[in-house]
Amino acid sequence: MSENKTSLWQRYLSANPVTMSFLAIFLGFVVGAAVIIFSSSDVLHAWTQIFNSPGAIFHAIKVTLDNVGAAYRAMFTGSVFDPTILWHALTTGQDWTAALTPISETLTYAAPLVIISIGVAISFETGLFNIGANGQAILGGIAGTAFGSMIHLPMILHLPLTLACGVAAGAFYGFIPGMLKALTGAHEVIVTLMLNYVVAYFLLYSLLSTPLQLPGQANDLSRVILPSAQLPTFFATATTLRVNWGILIAIGVVAFGWWFLNRSTLGFDFRITGANPNAARASGINPKKIIMYVFLISGGLAGLAGVVQVDGTTHSLDGGFLIGSAGIGFTAITVSLLGRNKPINVFWGAILFSALGVGGRIMQAETGIPLDLATIIQSAVVLFVATPVMVQEIFRLRAGTLHTVELNTKGWSS
Amino acid sequence: MSTVATPNVAVRRDTPAGRTRVIGAIMSLMALFIFWVFAMGATATASSIISFNPLNLSGGAPWHLANVTLPSRMSALVLAVIALAIGLETIIRVPASRVMARFGFVSVLFLLGLFVWTVRSGGPSPTNFIDITDVLVNASGITMVLIFGSMSGIMCERAGVVNIAIEGQFLGGAFIGAIVASSTNSFLLATFAGAAVGAVLGWVLAFFAIRYRSDQVIVGVVLVTMIASLTNFLNLTFLTPFQQYNTGVTPNSIPIPLLDKIPIIGPLLFNQDMFFYMMYVLVAGMSFALFKTKWGLRVRAVGEHPQAAATVGIRVKGVRYFNVILGGAIGGVGGVAFIALHGQFNPGFTSGLGYIALAAVIFGRWRPSGAVVASIIFGLTSMLASGLQSFNVPVSSEILGMFPYIITIAVVSGLIGRVRAPAADGIPYKQD
Repeated sequence: MSENKTSLWQRYLSANPVTMSFLAIFLGFVVGAAVIIFSSSDVLHAWTQIFNSPGAIFHAIKVTLDNVGAAYRAMFTGSVFDPTILWHALTTGQDWTAALTPISETLTYAAPLVIISIGVAISFETGLFNIGANGQAILGGIAGTAFGSMIHLPMILHLPLTLACGVAAGAFYGFIPGMLKALTGAHEVIVTLMLNYVVAYFLLYSLLSTPLQLPGQANDLSRVILPSAQLPTFFATATTLRVNWGILIAIGVVAFGWWFLNRSTLGFDFRITGANPNAARASGINPKKIIMYVFLISGGLAGLAGVVQVDGTTHSLDGGFLIGSAGIGFTAITVSLLGRNKPINVFWGAILFSALGVGGRIMQAETGIPLDLATIIQSAVVLFVATPVMVQEIFRLRAGTLHTVELNTKGWSS
Repeated sequence: MSTVATPNVAVRRDTPAGRTRVIGAIMSLMALFIFWVFAMGATATASSIISFNPLNLSGGAPWHLANVTLPSRMSALVLAVIALAIGLETIIRVPASRVMARFGFVSVLFLLGLFVWTVRSGGPSPTNFIDITDVLVNASGITMVLIFGSMSGIMCERAGVVNIAIEGQFLGGAFIGAIVASSTNSFLLATFAGAAVGAVLGWVLAFFAIRYRSDQVIVGVVLVTMIASLTNFLNLTFLTPFQQYNTGVTPNSIPIPLLDKIPIIGPLLFNQDMFFYMMYVLVAGMSFALFKTKWGLRVRAVGEHPQAAATVGIRVKGVRYFNVILGGAIGGVGGVAFIALHGQFNPGFTSGLGYIALAAVIFGRWRPSGAVVASIIFGLTSMLASGLQSFNVPVSSEILGMFPYIITIAVVSGLIGRVRAPAADGIPYKQD
């Protein structure tokens, strides 16, 4: 038995990051299935009957699989593609775009999620915990909507400036916790969380007061972004396909994130600070400067995500903007943990979680299982990603070159 | 933290000199605000009535106190002068201790100025009196929940585990508390159920943090997200179709004979529901247990230097498990206390209280007494945010709603700044 040679198969079975991510996702779906089972009275009823007749146990298994299967099938057909619609389109030869709608929706929602997750990943890589990405994105969306709806400019100027407004607002809002941490030592977790609540009230305030509220409207609705500032869609003729230039911006941000973390001087300083703050300080990196830059960049990307979200899909704001069941900022935390802060992996993680969210809505419509299941699955996935040792133990994998996801935010006294 | 200790320090400062001056400046600004807004905002002839007798007399009326009618502008002026004097004194003399006490006093002056200004005659307020007892009683509920949450945080963090999942323990406890209280009509059973759910959540946190040494902040945040979505989920699948499990019962208040007749203090402290009295026992018990018993010494040793604690034979992991589970149970009871206050369960209705409780832990420097003071400040601010609307204050309700959170940020950054947590707080323990 040779010690050093391992077959390809054994290498797959060892605890390498890719295998571990897939197993964590798998376990997340198992947790989701358990939640479905324990919350569905049909399934529970079937299991209470198993001793009544010999075949009842098979019936119980069938009911369980039916319920869980229906939920996950709806999630898949709602977010990737629906074979029945495709078959219908092929046989009748009309409206083939409907078959593309699910994947188009997934990409539409993925665009802001990719951008905001890259921002969060950069902060994680530096050892800072930006939980405030949600608030930064909302403020970015508000600023972008204000500029895009109330200023009249030709498109060549209007669209980039609208996006820039979002970036600036997000960066400003990210700068507050960064500055407070650098100057006074206030812990960024508490400050960013509090700022999330502050901006939620600010959103309501700006939607209910004069300049931004849709004129003649009493509800919390904003003005609509002018066509000259909207992100164009790829398919102007098919209105059900909402996928837009946002996904291209997202790919650009992934490229930027990769370049920034791996090739730029500032990114190198960031990573050194994250890996070993004392070594960073000893080698002449000013930690206060780093903290402020991290939050500027992270907040700027979050702001961009917010403006891409409103500019690409809804074109106006309402009171529920980006808040949803957990908020895009919290999903971004889970995405960047899933992608281990590597921009390319984060991209795929964002696509997956966006598919879960989009599919979750379809699941809620078709089976009545609440959309929150998607968030439960997401948080379970992250819990498993954050504890690779447990996944390793569950599947009895060989130890691989794997490190626990760790942040440098541990103590309260910076 | 790298603060170099200077050898001949004449006075031992609770707060560094620079920060003391900043706090003095903040107090002076508050004084100027009282002057410009509260004093100048009232006409010279306006008057304000302060009353002390609660409007709600369901628990029996306390002994009567007469209303006080104050000239609005003059009273605010006097308050401003006192506040300015204290602020300037702090800047010039830089006192070595009791800076926070001064700040607390100026905050009270600020509140009084706010009350006087809010209910001035000729102003927009529909009633021209403000009831101090009612204000305090309304703030006491949120304060109580915050105290439960911060005790949960202290319990965990003194043993070296960061409990950022207090929000999740609140939600879990509130959810189960609503079901049990609605179906059995007994808040005692609901308390046990809430404590059990909280303990389970605490165990999950401990399991990941101790067994697998995961990052405690990540596990905490993920737990909150998970519990929030799980309670949303179960609320839709279970509580919405079966509304008999979410009837919104609230416990009766239990007046303590004689003591509840004292004006202001009686209705505030001695005519509350059972959770309030539970809170007294909890705070007193924890202050005593943590600082006066052998068990407390062991817990603090584990939180400060687990390796040293292990050397003298303390089972570090055991202590941590016990404390985090106990802390989770306290958080769960806090959730039940919240449902007792609120009546019905609504998804996500704790709206960040758990995080504010965490801020109270830090503000209170990981001491039960400090956390109580911090919780009172946050509780009062939260109450004002919702309570001031009924006085038609010319500030929109959305802006008022931001207040508790902004105050939390200001407190965390301006007043405390760098704090000294238990040294091993948040650092996974590795047995070598």
